[in-house]
Amino acid sequence: MSQSRILDLVKTQCRIFSATFNPQRLRLGNKILRQRLRGPTLAAWYPTKIVSFRDLQNTYKPLGLTTFDEAEDDREEAIQITKLRGKGRPKKKRTAAESRSAKKKK
Amino acid sequence: MSKAASMFHPKRLDLSGFVNTRVIRDHNKRNAFAQMEPERQALRYIIRNTSLPQRTRAQAQLQLSQMHCYTRPTQIKNRCVASGTARSVFRDFRLNRFQFRMQALAGELPGVKKASW
Repeated sequence: MSQSRILDLVKTQCRIFSATFNPQRLRLGNKILRQRLRGPTLAAWYPTKIVSFRDLQNTYKPLGLTTFDEAEDDREEAIQITKLRGKGRPKKKRTAAESRSAKKKK
Repeated sequence: MSKAASMFHPKRLDLSGFVNTRVIRDHNKRNAFAQMEPERQALRYIIRNTSLPQRTRAQAQLQLSQMHCYTRPTQIKNRCVASGTARSVFRDFRLNRFQFRMQALAGELPGVKKASW
Protein backbone atom coordinates (compact mmCIF):
# COMPACT_ATOMS: atom_id res chain seq x y z
CA MET A 1 0.00 0.00 0.00
CA SER A 2 1.20 3.47 -0.84
CA GLN A 3 1.81 6.16 1.78
CA SER A 4 -1.04 8.39 0.54
CA ARG A 5 -3.48 5.47 0.65
CA ILE A 6 -2.66 4.77 4.30
CA LEU A 7 -3.10 8.46 5.13
CA ASP A 8 -6.51 8.40 3.48
CA LEU A 9 -7.45 5.36 5.50
CA VAL A 10 -6.39 7.06 8.76
CA LYS A 11 -8.31 10.18 7.76
CA THR A 12 -11.58 8.28 7.25
CA GLN A 13 -10.94 6.38 10.46
CA CYS A 14 -10.58 9.67 12.32
CA ARG A 15 -13.78 11.02 10.72
CA ILE A 16 -15.79 7.93 11.65
CA PHE A 17 -14.61 7.79 15.27
CA SER A 18 -14.63 11.62 15.61
CA ALA A 19 -10.91 11.84 16.42
CA THR A 20 -8.62 14.62 15.23
CA PHE A 21 -6.57 13.85 12.13
CA ASN A 22 -3.03 14.90 12.99
CA PRO A 23 -0.44 13.17 10.75
CA GLN A 24 2.35 15.63 11.66
CA ARG A 25 1.88 14.71 15.34
CA LEU A 26 1.60 18.33 16.43
CA ARG A 27 0.83 19.00 20.07
CA LEU A 28 -2.71 20.34 19.81
CA GLY A 29 -3.77 19.81 23.42
CA ASN A 30 -6.64 17.53 22.47
CA LYS A 31 -5.83 15.31 25.39
CA ILE A 32 -7.26 17.98 27.68
CA LEU A 33 -10.50 18.21 25.70
CA ARG A 34 -10.83 14.43 25.96
CA GLN A 35 -10.59 14.48 29.76
CA ARG A 36 -13.79 14.16 31.76
CA LEU A 37 -14.85 16.83 34.22
CA ARG A 38 -13.98 15.72 37.76
CA GLY A 39 -15.80 18.55 39.54
CA PRO A 40 -19.22 16.93 40.16
CA THR A 41 -17.74 13.76 41.69
CA LEU A 42 -15.26 15.71 43.83
CA ALA A 43 -17.99 18.09 45.05
CA ALA A 44 -20.15 15.14 46.15
CA TRP A 45 -17.63 13.91 48.77
CA TYR A 46 -19.38 15.19 51.91
CA PRO A 47 -22.99 14.23 52.65
CA THR A 48 -25.28 17.20 52.14
CA LYS A 49 -28.25 18.23 54.21
CA ILE A 50 -31.51 17.81 52.36
CA VAL A 51 -34.20 18.92 54.83
CA SER A 52 -33.77 20.71 58.16
CA PHE A 53 -36.31 21.19 60.93
CA ARG A 54 -36.62 24.84 59.99
CA ASP A 55 -37.68 23.84 56.44
CA LEU A 56 -40.47 21.69 57.91
CA GLN A 57 -41.51 24.57 60.15
CA ASN A 58 -41.59 26.96 57.21
CA THR A 59 -43.79 24.60 55.21
CA TYR A 60 -46.24 23.72 58.00
CA LYS A 61 -46.60 27.10 59.76
CA PRO A 62 -48.63 28.69 56.91
CA LEU A 63 -51.04 25.72 57.01
CA GLY A 64 -51.91 26.57 60.60
CA LEU A 65 -50.17 23.54 62.10
CA THR A 66 -48.07 23.89 65.23
CA THR A 67 -44.50 22.59 65.33
CA PHE A 68 -42.37 21.91 68.36
CA ASP A 69 -38.59 22.10 68.20
CA GLU A 70 -37.31 20.62 71.44
CA ALA A 71 -33.69 21.73 70.99
CA GLU A 72 -34.75 25.31 70.25
CA ASP A 73 -37.09 25.29 73.26
CA ASP A 74 -34.29 24.08 75.53
CA ARG A 75 -31.99 26.79 74.24
CA GLU A 76 -34.52 29.57 74.92
CA GLU A 77 -35.17 28.21 78.40
CA ALA A 78 -31.45 28.17 79.19
CA ILE A 79 -31.18 31.79 78.03
CA GLN A 80 -34.06 32.79 80.30
CA ILE A 81 -32.37 31.12 83.28
CA THR A 82 -29.04 32.85 82.63
CA LYS A 83 -30.83 36.19 82.26
CA LEU A 84 -32.51 35.75 85.63
CA ARG A 85 -29.10 35.02 87.20
CA GLY A 86 -27.74 38.17 85.56
CA LYS A 87 -25.42 36.15 83.34
CA GLY A 88 -27.10 36.96 80.03
CA ARG A 89 -25.40 38.61 77.08
CA PRO A 90 -24.74 42.37 77.39
CA LYS A 91 -26.97 44.72 75.47
CA LYS A 92 -25.83 45.51 71.94
CA LYS A 93 -24.09 48.88 71.66
CA ARG A 94 -25.70 50.71 68.75
CA THR A 95 -23.55 53.87 68.64
CA ALA A 96 -19.84 54.60 68.99
CA ALA A 97 -20.44 56.84 72.02
CA GLU A 98 -22.23 54.05 73.88
CA SER A 99 -19.43 51.56 73.34
CA ARG A 100 -16.84 54.11 74.50
CA SER A 101 -18.68 54.80 77.76
CA ALA A 102 -19.01 51.07 78.36
CA LYS A 103 -15.24 50.68 78.08
CA LYS A 104 -14.57 53.53 80.50
CA LYS A 105 -16.69 51.95 83.24
CA LYS A 106 -14.16 49.13 83.50
CA MET B 1 -10.17 39.87 41.22
CA SER B 2 -10.21 39.90 45.00
CA LYS B 3 -8.24 37.19 46.77
CA ALA B 4 -10.71 36.77 49.64
CA ALA B 5 -11.84 33.19 50.17
CA SER B 6 -15.15 34.47 51.57
CA MET B 7 -16.56 34.72 48.06
CA PHE B 8 -16.76 30.93 48.00
CA HIS B 9 -18.78 30.70 51.24
CA PRO B 10 -22.36 29.54 50.66
CA LYS B 11 -25.28 31.57 52.05
CA ARG B 12 -26.49 28.56 54.01
CA LEU B 13 -24.41 25.62 55.16
CA ASP B 14 -25.66 22.52 53.34
CA LEU B 15 -23.47 19.94 55.10
CA SER B 16 -24.77 17.20 57.34
CA GLY B 17 -22.79 14.76 59.43
CA PHE B 18 -19.55 15.86 61.08
CA VAL B 19 -18.84 19.55 60.47
CA ASN B 20 -15.88 21.66 61.51
CA THR B 21 -14.08 24.64 59.99
CA ARG B 22 -11.65 22.50 58.00
CA VAL B 23 -14.44 20.35 56.58
CA ILE B 24 -16.38 23.47 55.54
CA ARG B 25 -13.25 24.94 53.95
CA ASP B 26 -12.57 21.78 51.98
CA HIS B 27 -16.22 21.62 50.92
CA ASN B 28 -16.00 25.23 49.66
CA LYS B 29 -12.85 24.39 47.72
CA ARG B 30 -14.55 21.41 46.09
CA ASN B 31 -17.51 23.55 45.05
CA ALA B 32 -15.21 26.30 43.75
CA PHE B 33 -13.26 23.77 41.69
CA ALA B 34 -16.43 22.21 40.27
CA GLN B 35 -17.71 25.64 39.32
CA MET B 36 -14.51 26.83 37.60
CA GLU B 37 -13.34 23.55 36.08
CA PRO B 38 -14.54 24.22 32.48
CA GLU B 39 -12.70 27.56 32.49
CA ARG B 40 -9.54 25.94 33.84
CA GLN B 41 -9.68 23.17 31.22
CA ALA B 42 -10.18 25.73 28.43
CA LEU B 43 -7.12 27.66 29.59
CA ARG B 44 -5.11 24.45 29.88
CA TYR B 45 -6.11 23.53 26.32
CA ILE B 46 -4.92 26.91 25.01
CA ILE B 47 -1.62 26.52 26.86
CA ARG B 48 -0.97 23.02 25.48
CA ASN B 49 -1.97 23.83 21.89
CA THR B 50 1.27 24.63 20.05
CA SER B 51 -0.57 25.75 16.91
CA LEU B 52 -1.87 28.86 18.68
CA PRO B 53 0.24 32.07 18.77
CA GLN B 54 2.82 32.25 21.55
CA ARG B 55 1.30 35.46 22.92
CA THR B 56 -2.15 33.89 23.41
CA ARG B 57 -0.62 30.91 25.17
CA ALA B 58 1.43 33.10 27.49
CA GLN B 59 -1.69 35.12 28.34
CA ALA B 60 -3.60 31.92 29.11
CA GLN B 61 -0.74 30.78 31.36
CA LEU B 62 -0.88 34.05 33.27
CA GLN B 63 -4.66 33.90 33.57
CA LEU B 64 -4.57 30.33 34.87
CA SER B 65 -1.90 31.13 37.44
CA GLN B 66 -3.86 34.16 38.63
CA MET B 67 -7.06 32.23 39.30
CA HIS B 68 -8.00 31.88 42.95
CA CYS B 69 -6.21 29.08 44.78
CA TYR B 70 -9.59 27.62 45.86
CA THR B 71 -10.29 26.72 42.21
CA ARG B 72 -7.23 24.44 42.07
CA PRO B 73 -7.78 20.69 42.31
CA THR B 74 -4.58 20.25 44.32
CA GLN B 75 -6.15 22.22 47.17
CA ILE B 76 -8.72 19.49 47.70
CA LYS B 77 -7.97 16.98 50.44
CA ASN B 78 -10.03 13.90 51.20
CA ARG B 79 -11.33 14.21 54.75
CA CYS B 80 -13.16 11.73 56.94
CA VAL B 81 -16.91 12.22 56.71
CA ALA B 82 -17.48 11.05 60.29
CA SER B 83 -14.62 12.83 62.10
CA GLY B 84 -13.08 15.42 59.74
CA THR B 85 -9.61 13.85 60.00
CA ALA B 86 -7.39 14.28 56.94
CA ARG B 87 -5.09 11.33 57.56
CA SER B 88 -5.48 7.69 56.52
CA VAL B 89 -8.89 8.14 54.93
CA PHE B 90 -10.23 5.16 53.00
CA ARG B 91 -11.49 6.47 49.68
CA ASP B 92 -14.11 3.73 49.29
CA PHE B 93 -15.76 4.44 52.64
CA ARG B 94 -14.75 8.13 53.02
CA LEU B 95 -13.78 7.22 56.55
CA ASN B 96 -10.71 7.56 58.68
CA ARG B 97 -9.08 4.23 59.63
CA PHE B 98 -10.28 4.53 63.24
CA GLN B 99 -13.84 5.51 62.28
CA PHE B 100 -13.80 2.67 59.76
CA ARG B 101 -12.81 0.20 62.46
CA MET B 102 -15.45 1.42 64.90
CA GLN B 103 -18.24 1.39 62.33
CA ALA B 104 -17.16 -1.95 60.88
CA LEU B 105 -17.11 -3.60 64.31
CA ALA B 106 -20.53 -2.10 65.03
CA GLY B 107 -21.79 -3.69 61.81
CA GLU B 108 -22.69 -0.37 60.17
CA LEU B 109 -20.71 -1.07 56.99
CA PRO B 110 -22.46 -3.70 54.87
CA GLY B 111 -20.16 -6.42 53.57
CA VAL B 112 -17.26 -5.57 55.87
CA LYS B 113 -16.18 -8.40 58.14
CA LYS B 114 -13.25 -8.84 60.47
CA ALA B 115 -10.74 -11.24 58.96
CA SER B 116 -9.89 -14.35 60.91
CA TRP B 117 -8.04 -17.48 59.76
